[in-house]
Amino acid sequence: MSARELRRLLAAADPVDRERLDRLDFAAMEAELAADLEGSWPVADPGRATEIRAADAGLLPRPHSHRPRNLAFAAGGAVLAIVVALVIALAGGGSGPSSRAYGAELVRFAESTPLLLLEEPGWRVQDVSEHRTREGTDGTMRFVTGKPVSIEGVKHTGSVDKAGKAFVEGLPPASARQRLVELRWRPAALGPVEFGPGGKHLVKLPVLDTIATVNTRATLYANEGGPGDREMVATWAEDGDIVEIQASVPNLAGMEERLGWLTKVDSQTWLEAMPAEVVKAFDFEGAVKEILKGIPLPKTFAVSRVPDEGLTTSRENVTTKVTATVACLWLLQWGEARRDGDEAAAAEAERAMASSRTWPAFRDATEGAPYPAEEIAEVAAAMPRGYWTYHGHHRDLLAHAEGIGCARLGLPLRPEKQKRQRENGVPPPPG
Amino acid sequence: MGIDPVDTGALGHEVAQARFNRLYREQGRAILAYALRRVAAPEDAADVVAETFLVAWRRFAEVPVDDGALLWLYAVAGNVIANQRRAERRRTRLGARLAETLRTEIATHPAPRGEAAEILRAMGELGAEDRELLMLVSWEGLAPGEAARVLGISALAARSRLHRARRRLKGLLREREMAAAGEALDMEEAR
Repeated sequence: MSARELRRLLAAADPVDRERLDRLDFAAMEAELAADLEGSWPVADPGRATEIRAADAGLLPRPHSHRPRNLAFAAGGAVLAIVVALVIALAGGGSGPSSRAYGAELVRFAESTPLLLLEEPGWRVQDVSEHRTREGTDGTMRFVTGKPVSIEGVKHTGSVDKAGKAFVEGLPPASARQRLVELRWRPAALGPVEFGPGGKHLVKLPVLDTIATVNTRATLYANEGGPGDREMVATWAEDGDIVEIQASVPNLAGMEERLGWLTKVDSQTWLEAMPAEVVKAFDFEGAVKEILKGIPLPKTFAVSRVPDEGLTTSRENVTTKVTATVACLWLLQWGEARRDGDEAAAAEAERAMASSRTWPAFRDATEGAPYPAEEIAEVAAAMPRGYWTYHGHHRDLLAHAEGIGCARLGLPLRPEKQKRQRENGVPPPPG
Repeated sequence: MGIDPVDTGALGHEVAQARFNRLYREQGRAILAYALRRVAAPEDAADVVAETFLVAWRRFAEVPVDDGALLWLYAVAGNVIANQRRAERRRTRLGARLAETLRTEIATHPAPRGEAAEILRAMGELGAEDRELLMLVSWEGLAPGEAARVLGISALAARSRLHRARRRLKGLLREREMAAAGEALDMEEAR
């Protein structure tokens, strides 16, 4: 299914009949609105109207903080410095928890997670990832015993069983999956837990100081599970988060056992449990260099141009930032070259962008090329003709290409946007 | 009543009222459409519109004067809906009148069928924030950067999440196609 087809299907699924809506006479209802407003006035100074403030506080838009680029880089540098500190602390060993001093940023990160560990000899943290949302942080933490277990290579075969479950290949055997426990969390504000049909497979088990609902038939795939191999998910609420533990277990007693190992810890203990692999996985600069392999780079590119905003950024997020930064720099060169009449520089940028589908970071992605692969390819295809076509009209290609997120990366493409960022104290893009 | 009226030197009450009425006339339908897409009953959508514009009136000094006004209203309407799910419905005259109008002129949501039903079911399986992003872009017609402003997230995050949401939706639709094909095969074999 093409992107265009999906957009068509989505538009057709809009439950609102616009023609009927357009026929509604909104002006006729102004009298009712005026009556509702009677006796109240707009607040001139939000800071002074405490009564209204309290009533409306939760209803107002939440502003997203747009940090100037120089500050974003400063924060990225701070995170890298903290990571280095963590490596040193982990390598040090011997000293007790009280002697470990973690940076404030890292402690804040730890405290944005539920601070839970599986405390059972032989088990350790395999990996952690988190994603910041408006409501809070959602994340995943995997615990393992023995060798690391990877479930990344699971692929659909294209067949399904009668219940609609897909057959997959590459699924590790039960003996490996049962050495893995996945802890997930998300803000409770995102909505209640929906267990769907099949309530007869739900049981209650104690966890920490509360009771979890355990789905004992959480098997995802058609060729998974059976006697001695059950996929189960325990769900409960914890300090404003919905927390889940998912595990392949031999039976319900196995799940109960794993839930019993779960322990609440303080942020220092939690940070000490972070394996060196987690830190190394977020060697941001190393990851950037790896992703850059096979991508033609403009002279203006430097690794430091790729913003680093967090400790547990996923590889896909890093790929997005790296490829978008490279594309934006090529587009900057292209725009300037066209304004200056430098045909060679414009052609060089066009060639580089036209090769985007073969960039290993896109071509070799196992789960499909991440954003902004499609957007870069679309812009690259339009570069030789010099404009973007929208419903038969010619549009400014650079204005369209801003959609890749260039301004957010500190690389606005159009001169007027560059001027605005300069006025806001953001350093200009490379010349 | 402890509420400071608007500073008459900067923005007279009558001027504010006229500007507010224009905002309501220009954006009322868009907010109603937004609400109808996200609540089960038309009368709830009517209340969302009324409550959103009451908040807009009380906080009129904070409503952007440019195109950002609609995005601001969408964000408030979204919060009103979230609030509505937790609290008792608040009755307003506009809400009651609009609900009555919707009952007589729009009736209820037509039951989705065919492809539309499949899409809606698949959308239901997306995460709440991904689904909202997809709706803002596909139905409210917002650019990803505008949807980001409504959701209070960065434009880059919105684009990245939108890309993922579309990919996941495609995957879900493919799975459904396969499941349907499987069922059809079973039925054929059973005959």
